Amino acid sequence: MDHSSRSRPTRFAALLAVAALTATGCSSGDSADADGPVTLTVAGWSIATTPEFKLLAESFEKTNPDVTVEIKEYDAANYDTQMTADLSAGSAPDLYPIKCLCTFSTYQGGGQLLDVSDVAEGLDETVKTAVEPYTVDGASYAIPYREDGWYLFYNKDMFEQAKAELPNGQWTWDNFAQAAQQLSTADGADAGTYNHVWPSAVQGFANAQSANGYQDFLAGNFAFMEPFYQRALALQESGAAVDYNTATTNSLTYQSEFGTQKVPMMLMGSWYIGTLIAQQESGDAEKFEWGFAPAPQVDTSTLDAPVTFGGPTGMGINAGIDENKVAAAKEFLTYISGAEGASTLAEIGITPANTSETVAESLFSVEGVPTDELSRSTFTNHVIRPEVPVSENTATINTILTDAHTAIMSGSSDVTGALEKAKQEFGNQIGN
Amino acid sequence: MALTKELRAARPPRPGALRRRNTLIGLSFVLPNFIGFAVLTLVPVLALFYLSFTDWNVFGRANWTGTANLERLLNDSSFWTALRNTLYYTGVHVPVTMALSLALALLLNTRLRGVRFFRTAAFFPYVTSIVAVAAVWNMMFSPDSGPINQLLAAAGIADPPGWTTSTDWSMPSVIIVGVWRDLGFYMLLFLAGLQTIPRELYEAATIDGAGAWQRFRHVTLPGLRPTTFFISVICTIGSLKVFDLILVMTQGGPGQSTLVLSQYIYQKGFVQNQFGYASSISVVLFLICVSVTLVQFLVNRRRNA
Repeated sequence: MDHSSRSRPTRFAALLAVAALTATGCSSGDSADADGPVTLTVAGWSIATTPEFKLLAESFEKTNPDVTVEIKEYDAANYDTQMTADLSAGSAPDLYPIKCLCTFSTYQGGGQLLDVSDVAEGLDETVKTAVEPYTVDGASYAIPYREDGWYLFYNKDMFEQAKAELPNGQWTWDNFAQAAQQLSTADGADAGTYNHVWPSAVQGFANAQSANGYQDFLAGNFAFMEPFYQRALALQESGAAVDYNTATTNSLTYQSEFGTQKVPMMLMGSWYIGTLIAQQESGDAEKFEWGFAPAPQVDTSTLDAPVTFGGPTGMGINAGIDENKVAAAKEFLTYISGAEGASTLAEIGITPANTSETVAESLFSVEGVPTDELSRSTFTNHVIRPEVPVSENTATINTILTDAHTAIMSGSSDVTGALEKAKQEFGNQIGN
Repeated sequence: MALTKELRAARPPRPGALRRRNTLIGLSFVLPNFIGFAVLTLVPVLALFYLSFTDWNVFGRANWTGTANLERLLNDSSFWTALRNTLYYTGVHVPVTMALSLALALLLNTRLRGVRFFRTAAFFPYVTSIVAVAAVWNMMFSPDSGPINQLLAAAGIADPPGWTTSTDWSMPSVIIVGVWRDLGFYMLLFLAGLQTIPRELYEAATIDGAGAWQRFRHVTLPGLRPTTFFISVICTIGSLKVFDLILVMTQGGPGQSTLVLSQYIYQKGFVQNQFGYASSISVVLFLICVSVTLVQFLVNRRRNA
């Protein structure tokens, strides 16, 4: 066989491959007139089960008839991977939510977010703290529209049955542990509380409630998490909390643990309010009286303004947006973070970043939302600190701490040893 | 004159033209697959080699960093843990899977009652969804409420293992499920290989007074050598690249006890956006796969010689 006849088809195939790549790589951007009708594209995920995107779009369109908002759906589990791919290919929507604080730095540092400081300046006082994580060197790059803090959900019926005192909003972690112990013997209860398997269920509180949590986190000194882990371990060892290994090996879900009355208490993010109402309606959860209280505190000093962890969900503008659309996009951001947009969210049981009285009114008028005084003050009076500090190293540190979490909670490693190992790993991967 | 004209007309086309036509026909069959391969595999793989020498993080430029990634790799203890775990998995999974699937194939190659049913049953795990498999096995491995430990306790074992919840036992647990899943597939290949061994050889061996073990040792094993070689290569490569099973069963935990190279690549790339560094780990995994395969080829060639 002669070599020339072999190399020609290869060259041809290579050319074809290149042509195909070029064709897919170039996507045409649509342009808009500054004054004419504008179409904004907004990213969202799981539209069928996450109605917030459509609701915000529709209510915004009503007040801004010149603007059409189109939702581009992404897969919830692979949102960041897909968004990253779309952004680097230049085919991402005009606006996109920052689903997790942990990836904000990737987008911001990668120059994929427009400076929206002018929108941030006009925000309601209640939203001001939630915008901080999105602020780099004095400039804001995303506007929070919802903010989920972790609350203590409790089943009033099960408390009554066990003749236990209901949470009063003044609990420290010790009070919580005592209650969990007492409730673990209640009829039909698996345990007094369910601590979900996520690392954040322990580390989020440690970060937010420790004096220098965030600095230590970024410096790789993880020893500050030790008391939080000791407490979590003590709870599961005494049977007051569902065992971590039972939860992982049996793939337990927090929705069924609390929703089907297996535990009378559970610490969970405020998104669970909407979920629980929907599940009680659909029959996936049993019907019972429930409420939510502030997360337990380290000591009594913070009881007046209880500190919890959580995360804002911010919306940012794609840096590659058509210039003529910027004004409309900023208008959209102002709307969704303002009282009107927040009320729209609250009406479906979502906790918006804006917690002003009008918004609280909307939230607590939703059928199924507990109307007791404690639940209401839990929503309006709390300090939500970010689950993790924002930095370019956050994703790496999270991976390191996830390994530590699984080692500690499964009982494979002692707390001090695992946190020390995490510190070494920090030095190894990020440097001292 | 007329005869020469006829002859000329009947003369087959020139050999060059025929070859070209055949090449084109052949290419038209190969091309659809090749385009897919080129776009989805070849180009990304070539790009990967380039990226492994850069600090690319998806956005912006990929800056050439030379051997910086490689130096970082050598000092990265997580990488060494992942490499050790990958070799642990491969070192146990490959021989155990091969031995058991051969044994199963031999068993199901006899005229048993319901042999078809058992063959199907043995193949079933291979076509079952890995996510469902992981969920069920995790439940069976549950240290307190799982049936495995309940059986062990009933058998009088006082301190049964913690399986997926223990750093010492998590890798054996994953290997058990890995073997169980792959068994049926390799059994099928061995069964096909067994059909190619002439019956006369067994008859001759029996007449010569060979026992069952001698027939296995001197007729079956040599007859299966091409199959065994093929299986050892694909099973080894498959084990070195193990990913899905680990991700759905243990996610690399507890701690880093089941962290394998593929998962580490995924973490570095898709979770932490360090695509340059992730690419260089991929290159290392690629080189390991290539060198192991080369060694297997060399050993096989020497045996055949």
